Amino acid sequence: MGSIVKVKNLVKYYGSEGNVVKAVDHTDLEIERGRFTAIIGRSGSGKSTLLHLLGGLDTPDSGNVFIEEKDMYALKGDALAAFRREKIGFIFQDFNLIPSLTVWENVVLPLGLAGKKVNERDVMDVLKNIGIDEKKNALPNTLSGGQKQRCAIARALVSSPAIILADEPTGNLDSQTEQEVMSILKKCVRDYGQTLIMITHDEAIAQMADVVVMIEDGKVVK
Amino acid sequence: MSMVRRIAVQNMKYHKSKNILIGIAIFLTTLLLFLVPTMGKDMIEGQYAVTNKMYPSWHALVRGVNEETVKKLSVSHEVMVYGLRSDVGTMPVKDAQISMMFLDDHGMALNNMELLEGNMPQQENEIVVSQGILKCLGQKAEIGDTINVPYQVMHGGILDYTKEKDFVVTGFLEDATEDQTMFNALVSEAFLRSEVPGEEIVYRFLFQVLTEEDETTTQIQERILKMTGRLGIAETDVRVNTEYLGANYVDPVMVSVIVGIMCIIVLAGVITIYSIYYVGLSDRVREFGKIKAMGASKKQLKGMVLWEGMSVAMIAMPIGLILGTILTKIILLSIVNVSANDNAYTGVLKEVISSGDVQLYHVSLYVLAVVVTLLTVGLALHKPMRVVSKISEIEAIRFQGTEGQTGKGQKKYRKSHKEISVLGLAKIYLLGKKKNSFITILAMSITGIFVIVVATVLSCADPKKSADASLTGQYEISAITQSGNREHPEWEWSYVIKDNPLTEELKQQILEIDGVTSVVTFTEAFVTSDTFEGETWGIKGVPEEYADFLLDGIIEGSAAYEDLKTGTKCILDKNMLYWFPDIKLGDTLELKVSDGTEKTVEVEVIAISDFPSGFSQFQYLFMASEGLGKICDGDLKGTYSVFAKERYNKDTLSAFEELMEGNERCQLNTWKKEYDQWKSALLVTTAAAYAFLGILGAICIMNVINTMIHSVHIRKKEIGMMQAMGMTNHQLVKMLRTEGLFYTAGTLLISVGLGSILGYPVFLMAKDQGWFNIREYHYPYAAVVIVMVILLIVQMFLAGALGGKVKKESLIERIRYSE
Repeated sequence: MGSIVKVKNLVKYYGSEGNVVKAVDHTDLEIERGRFTAIIGRSGSGKSTLLHLLGGLDTPDSGNVFIEEKDMYALKGDALAAFRREKIGFIFQDFNLIPSLTVWENVVLPLGLAGKKVNERDVMDVLKNIGIDEKKNALPNTLSGGQKQRCAIARALVSSPAIILADEPTGNLDSQTEQEVMSILKKCVRDYGQTLIMITHDEAIAQMADVVVMIEDGKVVK
Repeated sequence: MSMVRRIAVQNMKYHKSKNILIGIAIFLTTLLLFLVPTMGKDMIEGQYAVTNKMYPSWHALVRGVNEETVKKLSVSHEVMVYGLRSDVGTMPVKDAQISMMFLDDHGMALNNMELLEGNMPQQENEIVVSQGILKCLGQKAEIGDTINVPYQVMHGGILDYTKEKDFVVTGFLEDATEDQTMFNALVSEAFLRSEVPGEEIVYRFLFQVLTEEDETTTQIQERILKMTGRLGIAETDVRVNTEYLGANYVDPVMVSVIVGIMCIIVLAGVITIYSIYYVGLSDRVREFGKIKAMGASKKQLKGMVLWEGMSVAMIAMPIGLILGTILTKIILLSIVNVSANDNAYTGVLKEVISSGDVQLYHVSLYVLAVVVTLLTVGLALHKPMRVVSKISEIEAIRFQGTEGQTGKGQKKYRKSHKEISVLGLAKIYLLGKKKNSFITILAMSITGIFVIVVATVLSCADPKKSADASLTGQYEISAITQSGNREHPEWEWSYVIKDNPLTEELKQQILEIDGVTSVVTFTEAFVTSDTFEGETWGIKGVPEEYADFLLDGIIEGSAAYEDLKTGTKCILDKNMLYWFPDIKLGDTLELKVSDGTEKTVEVEVIAISDFPSGFSQFQYLFMASEGLGKICDGDLKGTYSVFAKERYNKDTLSAFEELMEGNERCQLNTWKKEYDQWKSALLVTTAAAYAFLGILGAICIMNVINTMIHSVHIRKKEIGMMQAMGMTNHQLVKMLRTEGLFYTAGTLLISVGLGSILGYPVFLMAKDQGWFNIREYHYPYAAVVIVMVILLIVQMFLAGALGGKVKKESLIERIRYSE
């Protein structure tokens, strides 16, 4: 299995002169395809910034991020958006569901944005696998935290992106739900052959990963 | 500053974009609330000023009054102020006419005369002259100098032998022009009495009567004649100053119209400001809830909302008032310039406005604009204040943004759309915000409806058609008829029918003019009746070639042209029913013919008609010309209606003007003159109406701007998330445009739909009331297209601008965004 993500000399600083925060500081990293990689580090270590840069959500000061050998930051505007749509799925700690859309609509939204036809059976399979199929017509405000995160996972999986980026997806969940969500995520990565890159500060969750990357002061230390 | 005010001011700064929009709405509302009454008052006062400058201010004068009658008239309780004039004689000079008259101080004032310098003559040998008079006399003098004056005193209508006398010049009058040939010199009462024996002295008694606020010109005229009649003064000795009375009469409808327009502005302002507050109020519940949890009372919370709104008003109102002050003079002068032409009235109006003779700015109207604007803001804030004061602390603290809302009435489930497109996203969002969408569309539609209704009336008003309806044919030559003008006894109708200036020779001359195709002769007769409360009205005699037109105008009852030839049957115009509502179809009117014979005839009303003013010429009884000839003897020709090849031809018009030059017994009216008048009137009206509607529209557009800004603001995070999922900028702008299009389409649907429905009855009313001589309905396609284009441009621009604004923040900033 080769690398799906390659990071070369990536730099992202915040703040102005005299008060510079080195969120990502000349970092190199390679992540293997089909593996579950956990990025851990203390609060403020730069792990979230690194994840956002991997997902094309932020702009680096310098350096490159290659996704399947494609230099992501060589793309601009709508081309970058289309690339992200194609290759990356996101799962956030606070779910980020669209409140006016039902569970089903939230899940099929990435397909709609990509202009793809919805295969109802495939979507239902994903919902069933994740255990949210019965709530498909529910609006997000009626769901529990666990259900919301399942919905967010289904949304990330439905367009079969090569990489799923998860930013502390269990951070807002109780321990039982946390376990359920983690098993769903692992199962999906296994079943759908996707690469999961997850940020966590939870040691127990990191133990479940195939690879653990430790970040300190914006640099990969382990 | 109290804590409440401090928080209110901080809130105002924090919610800057919303308050800027409210500020713009308040500024525009203030501007309109200031401009509308100010322009109205200025036009009325301008009218007064022009009238006072152009016409003497006496309501009436009585000729040939002796001292006994002066006493009787002066003690009449109806006379408010009076002045006396007595003509002593003339100065015999070459190429000029110089009257010597005694005029008392009130007489001077009522004649709008004032001395250029010096004092009125008091002593027998004192005189007031002008430089023109001195020139005619071949003398030079300053005040205090003595001049030698030749004069002839009038005794019983005969000028006596010329005498000479030395007079001391006590003052000067201004000459109107350099080539003036008629002058008045003022002498003292002492001189009058020394030259004319007491029993021979006759005055002109000039006076103003006490008037009531809503009294019409006709009512004042009637009252004056009744008063003089009681004192045994013949009607022919009384001259009512109809020019002055007519120009000073303010139609009470004007005040109602101004108040009505102000109500519409207030309504638009209240709805706009309220809806800007309403959209997003739920998000502010949390802020106010937290303050309440910290111990703020209901009164303090209300105070915060009120102070926030009033603080914005305190900034916006002065801007509105300043701009209103600047615009007032500019707009007034533009109106006058557009309608100026070579009209003496508008020329003087321009002069009085430019020179500052008319006070354009009124403190009371500034106060009115401020009070009404504050009232508008207060009304708009009433509901938000109530909502905020009822906030529950716990609900507000638990409030977790729109995603977490689980309040009453919130939907839990709904049928999912199988697929989601960008358009679908917009649709779902809008349907989820039905109330917001409804209020935004409603607020905008009110102006839209108003625009379409006004546009309907304006589109029906075509200056060419209005001119067509203002006269029959392209040229009209009519015999001048006027009753009671001693200077022109030949204008009395009883005289006209004996020696009619509309001769066959004149008709032949008209027919010989190049471009003239035919001449149609309309006859007329004047009658009085008890049914008309003694007033004189005209009956129009319609020739056979106009029989079809006459019968086509019937709206009630029926008539054959043959019936109208009998002289016993007539058609009555519906306008007559406005003055005499008791007249009914089938009534027999007892008419006294005003031809001097006092002949009485009975005429039955067999039909009611509706004719354009150009046909009726304000004569609201119609018969066949032959029928009219049966009730009245004499030459009844009233008008030659001339048909030409073209509506306007310069050469033809010149030929008519040449033909009528020096003819003091006929008047010429032309299609071109009517067209020019209608064109300038319509231009001013249209410009004023659309400028007003434009500002009103701008107030309401603040709604859609606010709604769309708010929709992007509260969805910042979800838009960021959608973009993280791959929504392109193009798709984002498309989504925002679709939402904007929804407001546009909703507004257009209601505006055009309801506007078109309401426009028709308003057109019927305009037609009925004779506004702009409207006769035909025209749908206002141009206005609909313009409203459509403006709304589309606004929303397209907004969608683009908002899309651009969203792009300024990085995706991750938006995703992390938390209100």
